[in-house]
Amino acid sequence: MDLATYKQDVWGREVILGASWELLWLVVVAAFVVIALHAVIVAVRRREAKPSSEGPRIPRHRGIDRIFHWVMAISVFALLITGVFPIIGLEFSWLTIHWIAGLVLTAAVLFHIVRSLFWQDLKSMWISARDLKEPFDATLKPGKYSVAQKGMHAALTVFVVLVIGSGLAMFAMIDTPWWDRTNALEESTLGWIFLVHGLSTLALIGLISLHVYFGLRPERLFYTRSMIKGWISKDELEAHHDPERWAPDKSS
Amino acid sequence: MASHDVMPDVQLYQPVELDEALNLLDRYGEDGWLLGGGQDTYGWLKDRAKHPAAMIDLNGVEELSGVRETADGIEIGAVTTLVDVIDDPLVQRNFGLLSQAAARVASPQIRNVGTLGGNLVQDARCWYYRRGLACYRAGGNLCYADSPQAMNREHALFGASRCVAVSPSDTATALVALEATMVARSLDGERLIPADEFFVAPDTHITRMTALENDEILTAVRIPAKWAGKRFYFEKVADRNVWDFALVSIATAMAFENDVVSDARFVFGGVACKPWRLPSVESAIIGKALSDESADALAGLAGAGARPLNYNHFKVLLMENLVRRAVRA
Repeated sequence: MDLATYKQDVWGREVILGASWELLWLVVVAAFVVIALHAVIVAVRRREAKPSSEGPRIPRHRGIDRIFHWVMAISVFALLITGVFPIIGLEFSWLTIHWIAGLVLTAAVLFHIVRSLFWQDLKSMWISARDLKEPFDATLKPGKYSVAQKGMHAALTVFVVLVIGSGLAMFAMIDTPWWDRTNALEESTLGWIFLVHGLSTLALIGLISLHVYFGLRPERLFYTRSMIKGWISKDELEAHHDPERWAPDKSS
Repeated sequence: MASHDVMPDVQLYQPVELDEALNLLDRYGEDGWLLGGGQDTYGWLKDRAKHPAAMIDLNGVEELSGVRETADGIEIGAVTTLVDVIDDPLVQRNFGLLSQAAARVASPQIRNVGTLGGNLVQDARCWYYRRGLACYRAGGNLCYADSPQAMNREHALFGASRCVAVSPSDTATALVALEATMVARSLDGERLIPADEFFVAPDTHITRMTALENDEILTAVRIPAKWAGKRFYFEKVADRNVWDFALVSIATAMAFENDVVSDARFVFGGVACKPWRLPSVESAIIGKALSDESADALAGLAGAGARPLNYNHFKVLLMENLVRRAVRA
């Protein structure tokens, strides 16, 4: 199975056409296998007592950050539906919805970058050497984010930046309210842009499948609740986090 | 791209029953090629630009041929030849618009073998696409006809979305004007598709020109009596009078009450990826008597919203003049 598909350009040279969409099924199956394996492993492992959601509430995500998260989520799902469904045979008029959702995602990411640089604790998302020991040492508890959450964030950052960058290059070539289509790129350049966009999309499909799965797992559902309501309980904080490494009142 | 004098090796089936043809189509799926008059078949195959495994010749299926009177108009079998459509007295008497449009298709030789269904479902005639280049319509990632150096004199003014090819069918404009219904059959049954919805735009379906699915056969065209005997006008402007596709064509149908237009359909060919109706002209003409003044006023509406490419601005003027001529005729 190839990463890319190829075509003859107008001069008869072989150039990249884009990503091989056969990979979509590989990504879907791989995500399903990972999810199934994790679910089985968790099911057979001894269950720990679930911390109570009652009691004092600790702020975890501010309203503005929750809005950012869900705007980003909606735009990403709109992009995936409008981008992938026509490829798998569910055809509809997708292009306008796709670029509008792409602009929403771009604006949301720019907002997030500015906010995280100037108003948030940037270090809370950095992966340190200590973080890497977390999965192997039950006595080590994370700060605000676990190493898995930081890893997911880092991977999403890379592929979202790639998909936005390649998407903006494509956006410059279609009709918009602000300019007319140009269609002036070299075929080989265009092929690379489509390849990066396609492969980033495939990576995001895999990552988002895992993100949604972990967000819906019963023992982690309190994180999803905190992304809706903004808080976790004191019990949940103490069970899953190291209060020494995360002072919620200082960086929420 | 090499062009060959001979056909590639392809399995030929000649069913005599529609169910047999549908079963073959179901068996071969995208590798099956439906054959009517063959006028949009042999070029593709000789150029080795399409590679079907099987050709399903529909000409032996009797129920797909002929013109029949129905309770509400007429039904024309999809493999009825264009010359039979042109000469049919029912069509001539009631739906002269279709007769006129069919009479302008290609050349006498082609009209003798070409079928109504084939004329309706023919593929885009954009030469970049026909040349076998991997454009959007062929599953690629750009439109060669819409690049800065492209030759796009024949391409679209309206409705382009990545692809700028136009619908090449002359009979399609007439059938949209006549509010025809396309009858599609598959193993799952019959589907009736209004002509307005039968021809599809690239924003939704960029690799095909019609709403037909891979497992469907266009079996007939039904024309309702609504427009029977009304005032029709068809004109096709092409570089040659025979054996050429429309640069712009117009098909109109108008109904009158006391010399005032009570209903109207204005449809253009050659300006969009599908037969292009002009609702603004249609609504503006209702309630008016035909005159030079109304012709001029309506002509001004024809090109509204057009997005000309490098070399096809002239089509806007053609549209305006064709509206004028349709109203004055």
